[in-house]
Amino acid sequence: MNWKRLAIVFGLGVPLIAVLAYGFTRDPREIPSPLIGRPAPPFTVQLFDGKELSLADLRGKVVFLNFWASWCPPCRAEARMLEASWKDHQGQDVVFLGINMQDREAAAREFLREFGITYLNGIDAGSRIAIGYGVWGLPETFFIDPDGRITYKHIGGLDGPEVIHAKLDEARQGRLSGREGKGDYRSVQ
Amino acid sequence: MTTARSSRRWALSAVVALLWPLLLGATTAERELEVRMLEVASGLRCPVCQNLSVAESSSELAQEMRALILDELRAGKSPEEIRAYFVSKYGQWILLSPTARGFGLLVWVLPGLGAVAGLGGAAFALRRWARRGSRFAPAPAGAEDLARVHDLVVADALPARLSAEEAREIEGLRELEFDHRAGKLSDQDYGELRALYEAKAAATLAAAAAERVRAAARAAEEAEAAPAPAPAPARPAPRRWRWAAAAVFLVVFGAAIGFLLPQAVRVREEGGSITGGMLTGSEAPVSAAQPRDLPALLDQGRRAMEAQDLGRALTLFRVALEVDPDQVTARAYLGLVLLRGGHPDRALPEFDRALSREPSFPQALWGKGLALYETPGKTSEAIRTWEALLAQDISGKDRDHVRSLLAQARQRLERETKPAPVAPR
Repeated sequence: MNWKRLAIVFGLGVPLIAVLAYGFTRDPREIPSPLIGRPAPPFTVQLFDGKELSLADLRGKVVFLNFWASWCPPCRAEARMLEASWKDHQGQDVVFLGINMQDREAAAREFLREFGITYLNGIDAGSRIAIGYGVWGLPETFFIDPDGRITYKHIGGLDGPEVIHAKLDEARQGRLSGREGKGDYRSVQ
Repeated sequence: MTTARSSRRWALSAVVALLWPLLLGATTAERELEVRMLEVASGLRCPVCQNLSVAESSSELAQEMRALILDELRAGKSPEEIRAYFVSKYGQWILLSPTARGFGLLVWVLPGLGAVAGLGGAAFALRRWARRGSRFAPAPAGAEDLARVHDLVVADALPARLSAEEAREIEGLRELEFDHRAGKLSDQDYGELRALYEAKAAATLAAAAAERVRAAARAAEEAEAAPAPAPAPARPAPRRWRWAAAAVFLVVFGAAIGFLLPQAVRVREEGGSITGGMLTGSEAPVSAAQPRDLPALLDQGRRAMEAQDLGRALTLFRVALEVDPDQVTARAYLGLVLLRGGHPDRALPEFDRALSREPSFPQALWGKGLALYETPGKTSEAIRTWEALLAQDISGKDRDHVRSLLAQARQRLERETKPAPVAPR
């Protein structure tokens, strides 16, 4: 009788604790992206210099697509590193494209000036592009292969230029990384 | 002072009536589209707030999502297509009620399984308790046992085969008899106690006898090892109707909870009852009664204000602001209601909020001026606000009214700034 009772308690209790342990150690804000391995959603963005850029024009190149806002500290933290990484890869078959969202234009321009950013940057008014990419935190970075397919997604600040280099290489070869990367992030507004 | 106040009041209604038609812009088609948009949005989870739907959340992303849904609906997309779009971007996560497939199926099935398991467990436990209870209940004393008890009490010596418990019961009865004879007990008490003791003793005797029979049977069984079990005492047939009644009760209870709980958690106004007017006969809360479309709410609020029903007007404008916190008209009118209710201090922030959205909104400027005018020491600020209002494009009648207000305020400012001749210490 005692053994039976013990077995029932363990049979119910252990799975319950396991479920709770799994649930409590997970980041409840995290929204796994269904986009990895899928074609990158097409968009046309207005650049800060007034020109328009369409993602379709970048077919054949590896695209480093970074969503940011000037009010987001992790975006500031990675800004210099991104620019340095862009300088490293400039001239190759790589395009860096920043998408500014949920921001004021003046503040965004000040951000670009402050960090001396030279790669392409555009404004996503109304966050339509961001919603198209399922953005929920900032910064968020997508790597797109020459065929226009998303190969990797990183939520939050990128750790260093090595990660960018490795993931650009993978994208160039069209290799997918199913696991999303994660760093310090801020929820969108 | 009273005339100034009443003239202000009159002017308030006049301005409200004059400017009102400008504020009612939305057509029915747009309203219908809005309703369809909210239908879609209420099924989507807001990525920022997590526990709110896109329809309820005031976050920027949710607002942008609502705008996107509206645009898609205008473009002729079906709600199903729009939902599918969001799922393709954010995954199943975005749906407040997950589809009943794969892992999501679990969410739909588990509560049912849980309910079945719980009911089964409860039924099982109840059955066990019921059985245990019947085992411990004293068997009703038979006449035969009572007669035996009687014999034993009057007998000179107790038979040796009696157990200690049985002997104690008989001894108790004898003592009772003795006490009665000694005059320590009234006839009535004696009668009652005796009946009780006798019943108890008879039950003990019967139980002991049954135990002896069973022991004998066991001994015989062990001795012979023959499959001859003692005939079990016939148990009363389980009363099935009791179980049926319990099941019906549980189902009704569950249904009642299922009905009343969602009623209790819906949005309701201050002072609204949980069940609305259904059980208590109280007035249905405003938000439940009205469809949540802004123009109608604003219109009703304005009418309530005209009818001097400030409480209702306040509620209506608050509900309107719940629908859209950035609704400038509702914000300004909320301020006007508060002002009329004698709370210039609470009205002021409302006007400021309205003006932060639309810096030249006439009602808000006008109301802010009034609120400042009623706040001691803010007359000059009131004057500045009204001057800003005069710079706007307002009707001649309103312009005259504001000018007269300004004149009044300037007079007061003059009086205030002049030092009083005799300053009482």
